[in-house]
Formats: sequence, C-alpha cells, structure tokens
Amino acid sequence: MAFISKNDSDKSGDTKTNLKIIGFGNKYRSDDGIGIRVVEELGKLDSFRNIDIIDGGTSGTDLIFLVKDCRKIIIIDAIDAGQDVGDVVNIKVDDVEEFIKSDFKSLSLHDLNLADILKLIKALKIDADISIIGVKPKKIDFGDRLSPEIEKKIPEIISLVKKETGI
Amino acid sequence: MANNLNIEVSPLSRVEGHGDLIINVKDKKIEKLMFRIPESPRFFEAMLVGRKYDEPSHITSRICGICSVAHTCASIKATEEALGIKPSEQTINLRKLIYHHENVQSNVLHVYFLAAPDFFGVGSVIPLVETHPEIVNIALRTKKMANDMVRIIGGRAVHPIRTVIGGFTKLPTEEEMIKMKEILQASYPDLEKSLEILRTLKIPEFERKTEYISISDSVDYALYDGNIKSTDGWEIDDQDYLDKMKEKVVKYSTAKHCWVNGNVFMVGALARFNNNYQKLTDNAKKYAEELVLKAPCYNTFMNNIAQFVEIVHSIDDSIRLIDEILEEGLDEDKAMAEIKPKAGRGVGVVEAPRGLLIHDYTYNDKGRVEKANLIIPTGMNYANIEKDMHALVPSIIDKSEDEIKLACEMLIRAYDPCISCSAHLLNVKLVNK
Repeated sequence: MAFISKNDSDKSGDTKTNLKIIGFGNKYRSDDGIGIRVVEELGKLDSFRNIDIIDGGTSGTDLIFLVKDCRKIIIIDAIDAGQDVGDVVNIKVDDVEEFIKSDFKSLSLHDLNLADILKLIKALKIDADISIIGVKPKKIDFGDRLSPEIEKKIPEIISLVKKETGI
Repeated sequence: MANNLNIEVSPLSRVEGHGDLIINVKDKKIEKLMFRIPESPRFFEAMLVGRKYDEPSHITSRICGICSVAHTCASIKATEEALGIKPSEQTINLRKLIYHHENVQSNVLHVYFLAAPDFFGVGSVIPLVETHPEIVNIALRTKKMANDMVRIIGGRAVHPIRTVIGGFTKLPTEEEMIKMKEILQASYPDLEKSLEILRTLKIPEFERKTEYISISDSVDYALYDGNIKSTDGWEIDDQDYLDKMKEKVVKYSTAKHCWVNGNVFMVGALARFNNNYQKLTDNAKKYAEELVLKAPCYNTFMNNIAQFVEIVHSIDDSIRLIDEILEEGLDEDKAMAEIKPKAGRGVGVVEAPRGLLIHDYTYNDKGRVEKANLIIPTGMNYANIEKDMHALVPSIIDKSEDEIKLACEMLIRAYDPCISCSAHLLNVKLVNK
C-alpha cells in the first residue's frame, strides 16, 4: 500500500485517522486500474492534502489493518453491482447482500480477493463505515490504459468522493 | 467408488487467480487430466521493451500483490547484472531483510488463510473466524508484523518504492531497526501456538519423488541470491539458467510449461527445504522436527509445513541481520551505487515465495530494454502438478467423487499457485431495498 500524497512514506500500519480513501486494482489490467487512477488524481488536489489517500494496489488482507484503525473508509474500485458498463455506483458495504465471485475472470487480490476480505471484516465484527465507489469496467485484459468511456468517468467518481467526504 | 469420473472445477477456489481442473476417468483409468490456466503475464514482457533501466523494477512489481518484493528484486538484480552495478553489502543485507518478510507475508496467508480451511474441514477462512479464531488472530498479527517490516525498509507494505537499482533511495533509521527487532522478538509465542495447532493437522499421505529445484548458497538459506541447484545433483550459475531450463507452450493453457533436462520438477518452499535444510537456523530445524518434516521430503502436501518452517527461519534470521546491520552502522554513503547505462544482458534469479523466479533482460547502449523474459514459479510447477495428480488419482480412485475432487484441489493448493496477474473486479448483489 502506498500513500499517494506522501509518495515515499506509507504509514498505513501506524496511523489512526478518521478517514482513508483507498484505490484498489491493477493498473496494468486496463479498467481494473480505475481505483488507482482516481486516487492518483485525488492526490494532486489541495483540498485532499491532509487526507490519507492510499494506492492499495493488488494487496487484499491489508485492508483489514486499515479498517481496524479508521472511522470511515472509502474504497475506489472496478465494481459490478448489476449496473451497465461505465455506470458509477456508490454503495455501502452494509447494503451488500452477497459478494459474488465472478466465474469468468480472476477476482484475485492475490491473496484473498476483496469480496473475501469484506466478508472477513464482517465475520470479525469490525465496526467500520465502508463505502465502495466504482464503475463497471468495460475490459480487464492486460493493458496500461483505461477504456475512453471509463476514463471520462473519473470526474464523476471524484465528485462522489467529495460528496461522501464533505470535502 | 468411482469407475467413471468427470470432474471439472472452474475456477478453482483459494488459489491466487484463475485455474481450471479437468479430470475424466473411464473404467478407473485416467483418460484426460488437465490443469488449465487461462491467464498469463506475457503482457509484461512486451511492455518492458523500450523502457529505461530504472523502470522495470517498478513495473514488474505490479505483476503480483504478493510477490512484489520478489519481482522487484529479480528485476533489480537482472538490471544490475546487465549494467555492471555493484550494490554495497549494506544494500544486500537490507534486501535480504525485506525479502524475508515478503516470504512471511505470503507464507502466512497461504498456510493459515488458503490451506488451513481444507485441513479443518471448513470451506474458507470466513468460518474459521468462528471455529478457530486463534488461527485467524495469529495470521493477522503475523501478517501485520511482516507488513511493518516491508514498509519500514521498502516504504510500502507491497510494491516497495525505496528498493531501486543500485540500492535504497532512503534508509531505515536506527530506531526503526531496533523497533523491528522488538516486534520480531515478540512474535515467538505465536510461533509456539502455531506449532501446537499445526501438529494436529492430518497431512494426506502421498509421495511422488520428483526433481526439486531452488537457489542455494554456501552460507544462507537462499532466498535473495544463489546458484540454481537441483536435488538431482547438479548446480549451475544463475546466469546460465537457459542451459537447463526450457519453456514450452501447451495448447490448452496460455501459461507456458517448463522443463529441466526434459523432466518436470517442483519449485517452492519444499524444494528450498529439500535443497537447503542444513542452512536453516537451529530453531527452524527444531520446528521442522516437531512437525515431522525431514529432508528430502517427497510429499507435496508438506509444502504447507515447509512454508511454516520458513516463517520461523525468516524471523530468526531477520534478528541476526538487524544485529549485523546495527553493528556495522547504517551509512548513507553506502545507500546507492553508481549507475551508468550500457549495453548488456543480465539475469536476476531469486526465490519468490512460490519458488524460483527469473528475470532476464537485454539492454541497448542507451540503457533501454531490448528483450525481456520472465519465468514465474507457478509456470515451472504446472507440469509437476499434472504428474502429481496422475499419481494421486489412481491411489484414491475408490473414494467418492467429492473426496477425489477435494483431494485434487488440496494438492493443487499445496503448491500455493499464483496464476493470474490479479485483476479483481468486485461483483456484488445488493440488498433489495
């Protein structure tokens, strides 16, 4: 994990803050990198200078350590909640009835996938306010660019983050 | 009892990524057995071409969220070899230290979260929270410890940023090193408790002798550096890996299979243990003995136990390394070696948690990559996984289809295969409000 706004110091194990914004994804798997791209953009904004903005990369279990010490977590990720490709959603983890393992593509965060981690957080009864803001990807094949129709959703996602955080 | 079987598991759960298992048995004879991989990291090789010498380690670090230190180090070593860069002893010791803790991060996850549910008869780690909370708690504490180590040295818990060709962009402080040692020393009660739990596991009885390949060193239990060594008695310089290893594309899998001298072989913790047992710390040897793991071991399922023994070794050896680094004193002047681009070829070979990892780069005189070849450990194990299943299935053919299926899944999981390059689109169903 990496703090975007403080490029050389990841304090994700030590800090106890009220709000963390974490982008998940693999920036070399096309639209799967949307979470990373959004947190890179957020890191450039002055208004978010004092907020912990984290490039979660493809690590999974570490989310548990972040959630344990934090009042509110916003996850930015590629997400399929039944919406159309390119549609942005903002959902609360508590509103998720079922985390579905996709059977056509890897869901791996290379340890446990995010669905498993969110289930584990619930099972461990860790009390945290977790929102997931994301867009349904068009493609998650190997590639270092977002699809144009996904890239143009970045401002909308950032607006939702601002609304969610009141910043 | 099954005379005829048609098993198709797609995708296989609790392995890193996406793999399919297909077994067809007719009149108790295997007609078809395939471990199919529909994903591959070939993209990264193409992507490296044209990149400047300081870029590959950061790019390849993203191949995997679990093996990011391994890819970083293999990449750095390949570039340093090609460009003739000589890192300081201090740099090498710090790399060995960060390396230990990626191994701990990965082994902890595999032993406790991905493999343990099989042995305790629960479907995944989620029910373990209720049935065996102590396992989940030990796993989380140990993972956190290893994360802290990687972060203090590399600047991030994954995809390290300070670990670069030539050395480190920033050194940990003496205070941080002392803190690391304290955290490590505090982890021994969890190791003891783990030993008690692991002693109760019923490891399936299965033996198939194969060739075990890992790196090996005259002093260290090699993870970061060494010659390539086989239990078949040969040892070669890591730069000469092509003398022994051949890759081949098989038509049902996009991942390449790998052969040595025409034979299948196994890499990973068990291979390292079989080749380098003598280099383990005395404490780690004691844990191995308690868990009835002796070198050479031909039971693939014991790979899980070898991974745990390595956790013990990594913690012991990290304390030794910290003492050595502190005694020498951290020196900013030794943090970075001089870098001058030049044409050349270099091979970086390390032990990723899942086994031998090879990066092979050719640079032009402007210091840009002309050619890249990456051989990942899971790619090396595919052919051996299939051979293991060919041996396992006939020996359990009288069991029920579900039992056979589970045994095959457990066997594959024992390899801790790392198949995909982690895309992770989240798929959810919302509460109908």
